[in-house]
Amino acid sequence: MIGPEAIASSLIVGVLLGGMFSLTAVGLSLVLGVLRLVNLAHGEFLVVGAYAGFYLLSVAGIDPLLGLPVIAAGLALAAAPLYRYLIAPLAGRGAEAPMMTMFGVLIVLQNLFLLVFHADTRSIETSYSTAALSLGTVSVGRIYVIGFVISVTAVALIHLLVTRTEFGRDLRASSEDPTAAAIVGVNVRRVHMLTFALGAACAGAGGTLSGLAFSFTPSSGASYLLNSFAVVVLGGLGSVLGTLVAGITIGVVQSLGGVLLGDGYRDAVALVLFLVVLTVRPPGLLAGRR
Amino acid sequence: MPSTTDVEKFRAAGRFDGPLAAAVAFGALLIAPSFLGDYGSQILFRFLIGLVLAQAWNLLGGYTGLVSLGTSSAVGVGGYALVGLLNHTGLPLALVIVLAALGGAALAALVAPALLRLRGLYFTVGTLALAEVLRLLMINLERFGGASGLILERDPPELARLVYIAAALLLASTVIEFACARSAASLLLRAVRDDEDVAAQVGVRPFRVKLAAFAIASALMAAAGAVQALKLGAIEPYGMFSLRWSVDALSMVVIGGLGSRLGPLIGAAVVVLSGELLADYPEVHLALTGVLLIVVMRFAPGGLAALAALLIARARRPRRVPP
Repeated sequence: MIGPEAIASSLIVGVLLGGMFSLTAVGLSLVLGVLRLVNLAHGEFLVVGAYAGFYLLSVAGIDPLLGLPVIAAGLALAAAPLYRYLIAPLAGRGAEAPMMTMFGVLIVLQNLFLLVFHADTRSIETSYSTAALSLGTVSVGRIYVIGFVISVTAVALIHLLVTRTEFGRDLRASSEDPTAAAIVGVNVRRVHMLTFALGAACAGAGGTLSGLAFSFTPSSGASYLLNSFAVVVLGGLGSVLGTLVAGITIGVVQSLGGVLLGDGYRDAVALVLFLVVLTVRPPGLLAGRR
Repeated sequence: MPSTTDVEKFRAAGRFDGPLAAAVAFGALLIAPSFLGDYGSQILFRFLIGLVLAQAWNLLGGYTGLVSLGTSSAVGVGGYALVGLLNHTGLPLALVIVLAALGGAALAALVAPALLRLRGLYFTVGTLALAEVLRLLMINLERFGGASGLILERDPPELARLVYIAAALLLASTVIEFACARSAASLLLRAVRDDEDVAAQVGVRPFRVKLAAFAIASALMAAAGAVQALKLGAIEPYGMFSLRWSVDALSMVVIGGLGSRLGPLIGAAVVVLSGELLADYPEVHLALTGVLLIVVMRFAPGGLAALAALLIARARRPRRVPP
C-alpha cells in the first residue's frame, strides 16, 4: 500500500521536477514559436549539457552548478552556426525540410555520443545530488530544490527578455509576422539565429541539471525531447507562464505515475498524457501554416 | 513542400522504371539466393526489408506529406504479432503475416483520430511519442515478455525461403506503390499533401485519404516487422521498437528521393550497402547516414534519384555542332 507520505513527497518532487522541465521546454517552445521549427535535436542538446556537466566535474573539478552559465553559453555558441549553415539556407522550403535536417543532426549527435562516451549509464555525483532535504515528515532530494530554483529563475528571466526588452519586441514581431517585421526593419534572420541559440542554451543548462538529478545515457535525447515537447503542447505556444504551469503538471503526473504504477511507467504516463492532449486539444497555432 | 520543378524532376526520375523493369527484377530475385550464397543472401534480405519500409514510408512522407518518425511502432507490432500467433495458434505462416499486417493497419486506425488531426510538425512528433510509448509499454508488460522479449517456438525458415518471403512482400508493396503513383489515388494523395484545405473544398476528404495511406503504410511496415521477427527467431522490445527503424525508413527515402518511385530503391541500396561496408562500426554508419541526410536536404532536395535524372538529362542533351 502506498502511504499518504509517499504521495505527498512524490507530489512535491513532481512540482520541483516540473520546474526543471519548464526550462528545457521554454527553449523548445521559443524555437517552435519563432522559427516554426520542431527542433528534433533539442534532446541531444540536453545530452550535451549533461555530459558537459559530468566532465566539468570529473576532469576539471568544477562544480557543474558554477559551470552552468559556461555550458549554456557554449551551447548557444555551437548552435548559432548550426542555424546559419543548416537551417537558414532552407528558408522558403516549408516546415519539413528544416525539421528533417534537425533529425539528421539528431542521428549524427546521438551516434557521436555513442562513439565517444560509449553506452554506459552515467550520473553527475556531487554532495548535493544525493542529499535529502527534510520538509516536515516528507523528504526530497536537495538537487530537485536547487534545480527548481535555478530553472524557474531562468524561465522568469527569459519571460522578462521576451516581454520587456528590445530583442523581445523583435522576437515577438518575427514570430507573429516575419514579413511585416522585416519591412519595419527587424533583422529577422538575426532574431532567428539568436532565438535558436537561446533555445540551445536552455537545453544545455537544463541538461546539466537533469544530469545532476538523474542518470543518463548517450541515447537519452529522444525521451528528453518528448518530455519537453509534451510540456510545450500542454502549455501552448507563446506563453512562458503557460509553459511553467504545463511543466509542473507533467512533472506531477510523471512523479505520481511512477509511484502508483511503478518506476518503469514514469515516462510512459507523461507520453500518454501528451497524446491525449494532442487528441483533445490539437494545437491551433500551426494549423494551416505548413 | 516540393516546387513544380522538383515534381518535374521526380517525374523524370520515374521514367526509368516501369512494370517491365520491375518484372525483370523480380524474376532475378527468384534465382538470386542460389547465386549469392549465404553472405549475399543476408544482405539481399536486409535490402528487401529496407526497401519495403522505404516504399511504405514514401507512401506517407512522399506522396501524402505525412512525415512519420513512428515506423518502429508498426514494425514492432508486426513482429510481436507474428511471434504471438505462431506460438499460440496453428495458423499457416502466410496467413500469420497477413494478420500481422492487419495488426499494423489496426494500430494506424486506432491512433488515427489522435495523430491525423494534427498537421505537419505535430503529426511527426506524435508518431515519435507513439513509438516511445509502445516501446516503454512492451518493456514493462510481463505478458509480452517484458524487457527480455519473446522466443519463437519453431525454427525459422532457411535463408533462401526468407528471401523469397521478403521478395513476395516487396512485390505486394511495389504493386501498391505503382497503384498509388499511377492511378487517381495519386491525385488524391498529392492534393492532400499540397493543400489540405483546398483539397477539402473540391470534395476530397483529407482525413479518409490520410487514414487510407497511414493504414496501408503501417500494414506494410508491420508485415516487414513480422518477416524480420521470423528471421530473428527471438525478439525484444529494444530492437523491435527501436528508433533505428524510423531512422532507416526516413533516411532511405530522403536520400533516394522523396515522393519518387525510384527514390526508395536508390536510398535502400545506399543505406544497406554502406551499412554493410561499415558493419563493424554501426555508429559511424548511422552518423554518416545522418550527414548524408543533411547534405541531401540542403543541396539535392529531390534526392539522388533527381540528381541522377538531372545528370542523365544533361548527358543526353545534344551538343551544338560548330558550323
